[in-house]
Amino acid sequence: MDKGRLIARINWPGTTVLVFGGLAWEAAVRSGLLEYEYLPAPSAIALGWGELAKEGILGSDIAHTLISVAIGWAAAMVLGIPLGFLLGLSATARRYCLASIEVLRPMPGVAFAPVGLLLFGFSLKTEMVVTILPVLWPVLVNTMGGITGIHQRLYDVGRTFRLSRKDTILSIILPAAMPPIVVGARISLGLALVLAVVAEMVGNPEGLGYGIVREQQALQPDRMFAYIVTVGFIGIVLNAGMLAVAEALLPTSRQLRGEP
Amino acid sequence: MRYTRAWQQYLKLSVAALPPARGLLPLVVLLGAWQLLQSGKSPYFPPPSDWWNGLMLLSKSGRLYPALSATTITLLLGLVLAAAVGTGVGLFIGVFPRLSRAIGPLLEFLRAIPPPAIIPVAILFLGYDERMKLTVVVLAAIWPILLNTSSAAERVHPLLLDVARSFRLSAVDRMRLIILPSVVPAILLGIRVALPVTIVVTLLVEILTSIEGIGALMIGAQRNFQSSQVYGLLVLIGLFGLLVNNIFAVFEAILLRRWPPKIQSENF
Repeated sequence: MDKGRLIARINWPGTTVLVFGGLAWEAAVRSGLLEYEYLPAPSAIALGWGELAKEGILGSDIAHTLISVAIGWAAAMVLGIPLGFLLGLSATARRYCLASIEVLRPMPGVAFAPVGLLLFGFSLKTEMVVTILPVLWPVLVNTMGGITGIHQRLYDVGRTFRLSRKDTILSIILPAAMPPIVVGARISLGLALVLAVVAEMVGNPEGLGYGIVREQQALQPDRMFAYIVTVGFIGIVLNAGMLAVAEALLPTSRQLRGEP
Repeated sequence: MRYTRAWQQYLKLSVAALPPARGLLPLVVLLGAWQLLQSGKSPYFPPPSDWWNGLMLLSKSGRLYPALSATTITLLLGLVLAAAVGTGVGLFIGVFPRLSRAIGPLLEFLRAIPPPAIIPVAILFLGYDERMKLTVVVLAAIWPILLNTSSAAERVHPLLLDVARSFRLSAVDRMRLIILPSVVPAILLGIRVALPVTIVVTLLVEILTSIEGIGALMIGAQRNFQSSQVYGLLVLIGLFGLLVNNIFAVFEAILLRRWPPKIQSENF
């Protein structure tokens, strides 16, 4: 992409609002217009971020949260995709499992925090207890739905070519179910970050989630906001990364789904 | 009269849409095996019959129902407020494309912050009380509703807007007759996405701050190593989530029974 198009693609009014919003916030806090004891100006948040980075806590907290996200997400993928395949391919398995899944799916992840604490105390294991189950559902359900949603005509094509069961799975089912699986994986990744932060707030005193709670209890709002901004930023980066991976993996899926 | 019939009809339909009950078999087998294999008193894995006793104990001590109602009220009030504000703001933003382009990045940035992360902020600003709990729930629930509404309002079919122009509808009538009806499915979809988030955030606030509610009850039981109560409350919360989701699904089906365009909801 050449430079001119890149510049034209930037949402200038949006960027302006963002910048002016930040400046107005700064001005309001400095002039005393917005007088809250615990509302730091953006510059103070940036300074707090710098402090945290210099002390080296921020780096290790980010690393801890990212590692927990990676473990939780990977576990969900390893469990969710094969289970989704099994349920998608076998109507019998669906009949005997679907209701259980529907009962377990709305279970909120935090509710497992006390159970995790009971079993493992404040530890990474508790964090995983909170993270894995809720993260499992989007990828499992999307894999299953992706397979059951394959158009009958595609199977007819397979039959015309007399494909074996293995070839049908490899060259018809897998490519056709790929886009929803990738979407499920992306939703799971975003959820994994949220749940890792939640788990760190209540179940494992480490990482970014604990950082937010710690600075709140220490009445250091600038550092607390620095942590929150970091979490939001990581969320955006992870999502964008997954989108880029999805586009690299599935160059045609955008056209197939009729998206611009 | 007609409406009660619609209720019954849609209740029947939604029951028919449920997956077959034999699908509960794995869950039943798991719980049964747990019950049979766990004979003695276990501090970590009490058998399911103990869970029930734990819940009964809580209900006898008179702490269960206030907690349950506190959580339910926060959840309902939060959803209603979030739906009202989110729909209003979302419509306003969606109707003016320039406005939506201008504040789009700001909204995206705010949405990227995980809802649980705002709880400590709310504690700092509002202190430990019911008002704070409600604020957090509203702030968590509002994004999916607001963004869904505004993007649906932007994508109202141009033909419909031409109709409004042909009939020389006033701005109010255009909003009331054309735009609002075409975004209702999106609003409901936003609420459905917001539902699990609000449950999680409500419980998390209660766990973190011990403000009255099921979350506070649960973390209290954990601190006292009342494992049977912890598991009992876990089941209760699961049933609660299931019930809330299903009630909303029925409500949505009834409300949308005469809406022509079907919204694709497979990927949220």
